[in-house]
This record gives sequence, structure tokens and C-alpha cells, in this order.
Amino acid sequence: MSMIETRDVTKSYRSGEGVMEILHGVSLSIPAGQCAFIVGPSGSGKSTLLHLIGAMDQPTKGQVVIDGQDLTKMTEPEKDLFRRDKIGIIFQAFNLVGNLTAFENVLVPFLPVGITPELRERAKAMLTKVGLGHRLTHRPIQMSGGEQQRVAIARALVKNPQVVLADEPTGQLDTRTGEDVFRILRELQRELGTTLVVVTHDRRFIQPQDMLLEIEDGLLKK
Amino acid sequence: MYRFAWRNLFSRPIRSGLALIGLSIPVFGVVGLMSLSNGLRGLVGDTVKQVQGVMLLRTNTPSPVFSDIDPKLSDEIRKLPGVKNVASEFWRVAPPVDNTSMVLRSLASGSTEKRLSNFLDSPVVLGMNISEHNRLDSAVYQRALIKPPSIGGRFLEESDRGQNRVVLSKKFSIQYPNLDGSPKRPGEKIKIGTEDFEIVGLYETKSLLLDVVLVMDIVTARRLLKAPLDATSALYVEMNSARENERFSKTVEDRWSEIDSRGMNEIEASFGDIMGQIDVLLLMAVGLAFGVGAIGIVNTMIMSIMERVPEIGVLRTNGWSSRQILSLITLESLYLGTVSGIFGCSLAIIGCWVANFYLKDGIRLIPTPTILIEGLVLSILTGMLAGMYPAWRASRWSPMEAIRYDP
Ligand SMILES: Nc1ncnc2c1ncn2[C@@H]1O[C@H](COP(=O)(O)OP(=O)(O)OP(=O)(O)O)[C@@H](O)[C@H]1O
Ligand SMILES: [Mg+2]
Repeated sequence: MSMIETRDVTKSYRSGEGVMEILHGVSLSIPAGQCAFIVGPSGSGKSTLLHLIGAMDQPTKGQVVIDGQDLTKMTEPEKDLFRRDKIGIIFQAFNLVGNLTAFENVLVPFLPVGITPELRERAKAMLTKVGLGHRLTHRPIQMSGGEQQRVAIARALVKNPQVVLADEPTGQLDTRTGEDVFRILRELQRELGTTLVVVTHDRRFIQPQDMLLEIEDGLLKK
Repeated sequence: MYRFAWRNLFSRPIRSGLALIGLSIPVFGVVGLMSLSNGLRGLVGDTVKQVQGVMLLRTNTPSPVFSDIDPKLSDEIRKLPGVKNVASEFWRVAPPVDNTSMVLRSLASGSTEKRLSNFLDSPVVLGMNISEHNRLDSAVYQRALIKPPSIGGRFLEESDRGQNRVVLSKKFSIQYPNLDGSPKRPGEKIKIGTEDFEIVGLYETKSLLLDVVLVMDIVTARRLLKAPLDATSALYVEMNSARENERFSKTVEDRWSEIDSRGMNEIEASFGDIMGQIDVLLLMAVGLAFGVGAIGIVNTMIMSIMERVPEIGVLRTNGWSSRQILSLITLESLYLGTVSGIFGCSLAIIGCWVANFYLKDGIRLIPTPTILIEGLVLSILTGMLAGMYPAWRASRWSPMEAIRYDP
């Protein structure tokens, strides 16, 4: 059964007077537990597609269905809850909130509703798994880029989400650190059986069993 | 979330600090001014409590010093029902005392605050019909006489009629000392205008408005001030029962249109009116200051959210709703308002304390708990309202817009 499905999704932006269409009808289906890579040249619409899947943006046309739920039919508050509980997101950089510690950053989705002791334990365990068990109280500026990305991974996975989305998670890291970070992400994904979608320029990480989605000029290459 | 909002304020301590000062100054202002007006009300209240009769003056005169009435009025008043005692008074601003004119003293003293207190201190002559006044139940100065064994001396008696004898306030006995600097005592001399007076007694009412009166015989006062032999400024009237004061006032005013009858509660009320108007003016000024303080907070919060757009994006993509962003930013400015309020109130308490130290007697600035709470609530409300617009703006960004925003 497919976890992520897009049906003929188009996305356009108003730019100046004209309208610029970025995605020209993308249909894809990613099975649960799969690791999928979206690759393509800069400006081809990879991030745009990822944002649509993550309920962060609304498609101009078409449908996005995650875990059987049609995102285009959800209200804003429903989408907020959906993002909080079902989607883990990792960006290229600036993932973390500067005024919060590593531990608090992992729990940030739940700050407004209150942190249960159970969540606390999960956050600690998750930070330990990404190798930061000893740095719970550090602020982002006290951490390296690789460590910050590992905190972001811990946050994306602490809620045991259906889907983890990563937009060039190693884009700003050196080769070694990038490999480490990616290995951790991959291990946790396997362990939890999460569906993982990664946008990347770096094809080194792609393994034979992974799904490869190539985008060019807003269209999926067959 | 509460701690998070709190910490966000401290990530830019200088900016938050400036906004805080911007709002605490109006809080300081409002608490300080309300305390002052409270103090002034208290002062008048003190005065009025000591005067229980009704005073008849010429209409439209702010004070008996400027009033002249028909000398024969007292006989007619005495005939009205319910009237117990009528005492004639002659009031004027005093000529220079011990050769010191009020104007000179004001100019000589440096600070504005001293000038103000000197202005309130300017001496006033009260010439009283001694026999009539000694019959009163609520005679203010008689009752305020400092009694033996203290060095108070005696009050005026029939035998002082036409004599240069005066009863002086304890305050003036210190302000106009002997040549060797010692305070004046009964038996010693004081110069009023060009004439020498013997001090027969000292009084103390502790009211700033009453303790400036030089009490002497009415005949002496008229002669001293070169007024006609029967010049009269006011009548002090006591009724059989103070409850009749109001009805009596009405009767008098209906019958003699040129006469204004002021019960002391009426004086207090009209003073309350004036204070009310002053309060309105003060509040307008303070309101303006609050406006400026609020703009400071709006500015701070807008700067703060603009530099945190990507961070707000992170919160949104991690499932924070726009309402939760709204709450976060509002909470931050609410904290700013609260801290400003506490800070401003503390400043005001210290300010009143210092001011009271310098204003040794008379006016006291009283920051009552009510005033402090009002100041605090006002500050919290201002902080919250000022934060609403920035908070609303921050909450409008869609997660994606915020993430893509390039600061
Ligand atoms: N809010 C927007 N308004 C207008 N144009 C936009 C907006 N967001 C994205 N675009 C445009 O959409 C196109 C695709 O952007 P997108 O970020 O999806 O590309 P990408 O494939 O992720 O590129 P990169 O590899 O550089 O990250 C770009 O040309 C970009 O300028
Ligand atoms: Mg991109």
C-alpha cells in the first residue's frame, strides 16, 4: 500500500504580472517503509514538491494523499496537527530554534501542548541514538553543523512519524560528516519502518533498493 | 512555552531593555502623578476636617483673601432660623513679614520645588472678631493652639482688641526666626508690614493651607491693612446642627445673590472637581507617553519577529498552529509589559519616597496599592495590545513562506 501519493499535482506561483508554473502535473506513489530520493537540477521544483507532501503548502491543482488522507481537503488546523504528529522534517540548515537547548529543540512540536514525562524519555533516548546523549542542554550555537543536523533528525523521528522528509540534509556538511549524518538517518528509518523521502544532489547515498525520482523542469522523468 | 517566550526576550537584552524603559517611564509617570493628586486631596481633606461651619463669601472669589461683603450682613444672618454663631472675619494677603516679601523669598530660593512650597507658604492675615470667635464650637485656631506646658502661650482675648498682638503658626515661628536663628516664642516680636507685633501664642493645625495664617484682632487687621473700619471679608457661621448646613447655604444664596455660602464639604467637592480636571489633563499626557511606550514595544516586537521568520517557519513546519505563534509573540510582549509595569511601579515607589523626604511636611505622595495595581494593569494591557499586531503578522505567514524567507 502506498504511503505517499500525488495525483497530477501542479503548482504555480504568481510572479510579477505572470503566473509561473513550477510543477506541471506530478504523479507519484511511494510505498510505506520505502526510502525514496528526489533528484534533479537546481530550480526544477524538488523542494516545492517536498513542501506539498509535507502539508506545508497547497497544490494549485491535483491531490496529495498521505497515509490515505487527502491533504488538499484538510483545514489549516488539521494540517497543523498532521504536520506535528505524522510528518518529520529536516531542512538543509537552520533547523533549530536558537533560544532552545538540543533537548528542547527535539520536543519543540509539543511545547505548546505540554511535555509529558513519556515524551521526555523518548527525546532523551532519541538524542542518545543520534550520539548526542551528553549534549542535551547545549544550544545550537554551541554545536557543529553535523550535530545540529543530528538534533534535527532526532526531532523528526521522536514522534515516530509516518513520513520523514529531508531537503538536502547533508548539503552544508563536509563529506565525512554528511555520510555520518546520513547513516544515522538511514539506520533510524529502518529501525522505525518510516517512509523516508530525501531531496539530494548527492547520488552517493542512493542504494539499489531505494526508489529514485528524477525531476526536470517540473516533470517527473519516467 | 512560557519559558521559551521569556528566553526570547533575553536574546536581545538591549533592545528589550529599551522597550522596557520606554514603557516603564509612563508607568512611573502615571503612578507618580496619581500619588501626587492623591496627596493633594489628602491635604485638602485634612484641612476640611478641621472646619465644620459654613463660610459666607462674595460670589466668585476663590479665597476669602479676595472677598468683601456687606458688614451689616452678620446681623441679618444671625436672625435666620437654626443659626447658632456668626463670626466676622477680615482676610488679606499679608504685607512683608520681618521685612521679607514673598516674591523676594521665591526668587531667592533656587529650586522650583522650593518656589512652589514658598508660594504655598505665603502668609495671610486673618483678623477675627475675638468675642464672636471665642464663642464658636469649631474655632480652628483656638483649638490648634499649642497648650502649656509646651511653649504655646495663649489665644487672643477681649483685651487684645485693637492691639498689635498676633497668634503665629509654629511653622512660621521657625521660618521667621529671631536674629540669632532661634524660633520665635510667645512674648517675642515679629514685624508685619511696618508694625511690630507681640506674639501671644503659637498654633499648629498641620494643614499646609491653614498654617500660613497670622491670626489677630479684626480691628488691628483693618488698621494694619488700611481698610475701612467695618471692612469684612467673610462670615463664619455655625448652625445648631451641622446637618442644617446645606439647607442654610441654599437659603442664603437664594436671598443674597452676591453671597456664596460654602460648606466645607462643598469646598472639598469643588476642589475635587479641579483635581478631577487636572487628573484628566495628567492622564492625557500620560496616555500620550503610553502611546509612545506602546509604539516602542510594537517596534521591538516587529524587529524581533522579522529576524526570526525562519525560526517561526521551523515552528510552523513542526506543527505549531498560527494561533500558537500568535500566543507566543503576544506572551513575549505581555512579559515586556509586566516587567515594565513592575519596574515602573518600583521606580515610582522610590520616587515618592525620595520626594516625601524632601517635601518634609504638608503634601505627601501616597502610592496606594490601588494606584500601583492600576499602573501595573495598564502596563500589562499596553504590552499585550502592542504585541497583538506583530503577533498577528507573524501568525499570518504560511509555513512555507516563512521557511523560504530570506532575511
Ligand atoms: N514562493 C515562490 N514564489 C515564486 N517562485 C517560487 C517560490 N518558491 C519557489 N519558487 C520558484 O520555483 C522554482 C523551483 O523551486 P524549488 O525550490 O522547488 O527548486 P529546487 O529544485 O528545490 O532547487 P534547489 O535544488 O536549488 O533547491 C524556482 O525557480 C523558484 O524560484
Ligand atoms: Mg530546494
